[in-house]
Amino acid sequence: MKSKLIVSVAALALMSGGALAQDLKFPVGEGAFNWASFEEFKAAHGNLAGQELTIAGPWLGPDQELVESMLAYFEAATGADVKYVGSDSFETQVRIDAEAGSAANISVFPQPGLTADLARLGQVAPLTEADAAWLRENYAAGQSWVDLATFNGPDGNPALFGFFYKVDLKSLVWYSPENFEDAGYEVPQSMEELKALTEKMVADGVTPWCVGLGSGAATGWPATDWVEDLMLRTATPADYDAWVANDLKFNDPKVVAAIEEFGWFIEDGKVAGGKGAVATTDFRDSPKGLFSSPPQCMMHRQASFIPSFFPEGTEMGVDANFFYFPAYAEKDLGKPVLGAGTLFAITKDSPVARAFIDWLKVPAAHEVWMAQSGFLTPHKGVNVDLYGDETLKGMGQILLGADTFRFDGSDLMPGGVGAGAFWTGMVDYAGGKSAQEVADAIQSAWDGLK
Amino acid sequence: MDNVVGKKSGLTWAVHISMAVLVALWLFPTLGLFVSSFRTADQISSSGWWSSLSTQERQVPAIRVAGEEVEVDGRFVIEGRLFEATNASVSAWGTSSTAPEANAPGAVADLGDGVTLTVAEDGAYVLSSPVSTEGTRLPRIFSTAATPPEFTLDNYRAILFDPENVDGMAKAFFNTLTVTIPATIIPILVAAFAAYALAWMDFPGRALLIAAIVGLLVVPLQLALIPLLKLHNDIGIGKGYLGTWLAHTGFGLPLAIYLLRNYMVGLPRDIIECAKVDGASDFQIFIKIILPLSFQFLWTWNDLLVSLVFLIDSTGETTVMTKQIVELLGTRGGNWEILATAAFISISVPLLVFFAMQKYLVRGLLAGSVK
Repeated sequence: MKSKLIVSVAALALMSGGALAQDLKFPVGEGAFNWASFEEFKAAHGNLAGQELTIAGPWLGPDQELVESMLAYFEAATGADVKYVGSDSFETQVRIDAEAGSAANISVFPQPGLTADLARLGQVAPLTEADAAWLRENYAAGQSWVDLATFNGPDGNPALFGFFYKVDLKSLVWYSPENFEDAGYEVPQSMEELKALTEKMVADGVTPWCVGLGSGAATGWPATDWVEDLMLRTATPADYDAWVANDLKFNDPKVVAAIEEFGWFIEDGKVAGGKGAVATTDFRDSPKGLFSSPPQCMMHRQASFIPSFFPEGTEMGVDANFFYFPAYAEKDLGKPVLGAGTLFAITKDSPVARAFIDWLKVPAAHEVWMAQSGFLTPHKGVNVDLYGDETLKGMGQILLGADTFRFDGSDLMPGGVGAGAFWTGMVDYAGGKSAQEVADAIQSAWDGLK
Repeated sequence: MDNVVGKKSGLTWAVHISMAVLVALWLFPTLGLFVSSFRTADQISSSGWWSSLSTQERQVPAIRVAGEEVEVDGRFVIEGRLFEATNASVSAWGTSSTAPEANAPGAVADLGDGVTLTVAEDGAYVLSSPVSTEGTRLPRIFSTAATPPEFTLDNYRAILFDPENVDGMAKAFFNTLTVTIPATIIPILVAAFAAYALAWMDFPGRALLIAAIVGLLVVPLQLALIPLLKLHNDIGIGKGYLGTWLAHTGFGLPLAIYLLRNYMVGLPRDIIECAKVDGASDFQIFIKIILPLSFQFLWTWNDLLVSLVFLIDSTGETTVMTKQIVELLGTRGGNWEILATAAFISISVPLLVFFAMQKYLVRGLLAGSVK
């Protein structure tokens, strides 16, 4: 009786599983999308009917719906059966699966450092030279995207191991335009102005910043973004690259200066709750201070994803807006932009996985996500008018107007530093340790990994 | 000190007090979680659950004027309410973030260009303008108000009935049962045979075997995840239910054998015979003995790790409850209201099992400790 029940339950469970069948968000052939590129891809890859493609990635919830809406077009073009599974602990999961030989065809890595680890172990299939050439040709700052995804393989030879698709912008400061108007503040155009504005707010009795570093096991990461952004504004891009590669030591005066620069922003009086609250405030709760009554703070520096943590009903452009985290006018370092992106890599090779990498080159594959939300692309061949809202368009402009684009440094550093010592070091710094002490500790952790 | 009786009662008091403290320690967060499951995300982040139980006066975040514009006597008027609750009481309000408490309820504020705004004590507002305000940005109202407790069933609705995830939730529920029931029955059956042998059969090396099984209790399961998954892949099981049952069985066996063996060894053979005389069948005796081990059910129900490693593959067909709940939290987590609600939905089945088998469970826990 019982076993019968189990069998029927199992059968039910198997039957209730549906494929990723959903309607296409934008009908093919309508609107300003590059449908010609879609048809071209369809003609070239239409022979994959029924083949299965599994994709594992970090996106869940609304983000998962967005990625699935893009995958639906790949299914429509090729007839392949695409299955996407998201995981909140993707970084751990992909290691287990790759190690045991049960990885998905395509894995979407949020951190290139992790891809490099797996590539060295031979668990990622290299892409072709043609893929690299295409990236150089068609992505803005193409060579830098190729370099970011080029790692040493198991034989020690460097090769392209992943394809960047979907970029996040980090150099953004969020604020409430009406709160600025009420108090008569102007959006600063340079770092000097931003610092003057911060001091003016303090003099007016207003708390300028909301900073929250709390993020469970990853507590401290928002501060690494701060330091990276400030590093790009106080040192040259070459110094930044050397720092990320540890050719410039972590306890070099230039890095310590960037950490101290961050310290200037979290001094008591400049940050909601005081310096002591910085490390304990959750980064997801931190931006809500912009919208409380009376406002706990006026500005919040965070990446482009943060609006999903604004209070319900917040209308972008009306209730909240953002400006570029400015650079020093007096220092000749241009307009640097810090960003991050997700790397699509083949963790289980198959013809349909290769076809999927080709799909990521199709402008329409970018446009169908652009036209919704939360997606920026460095693809030069897309119609930028398709960005879903003014916010994305504004971010796209910052991305295009950047003189220097640098990838989130902590994602490029070895895991033990970029997802370990750097995080905890920043928490210690917010807790009152000196920048030099913290930098020394991180450098010695890095030495220990070599 | 010398008074033995007094000392004894002191000890009893200590036991009672520490008991009460332990119960409170466990109940208090659970109660908080329960209250939170009826609150919205914004409520959770703006105030503690304890303050939601009574009427609280607080400064409410800005609410933008919204509503149908009506033309009355040549002026364009928008009427609306700040709060759904009709018994809210506004004590001050303003339209600027620098002066959120500038006006008293009922006062008329001049917003310039002949536009006026007034907010009554119950939260009803009237915006009046000489020209149409359509298409322009309407003012925000900051208010300080006492609002009665407000709870919502939306979280439960979102998890249980939202068409977006109701399929996934139902699938996960049945998948979890598919994992849990065999993963409870198989180890208990195997353990019962082993325990019988270890308790009542005489063979050389029995004590050593028991010691080895007790020793296995300390092997952390995390250590075996990757080697075991590799083995499953090599022998062709791959990721799936069979592998998950095997993993749960393997990791559950040492404790089950240990507990059952200790329990059986304490039973005089006479008892079995007496029970038979009393009319109990072998099966009934067996059931009475193994039921205490249903705690294995609770453990497999709550498991996420073993399922993630051995079951959930890249096709996404074999998700379980715990995984489904984690997914509801979104890419960056932080949806505490979903977490609180999902926790209560998820524990409903173990709670049912617990209350149905309470006395056996207690016996099961004691079985290992007494002998």
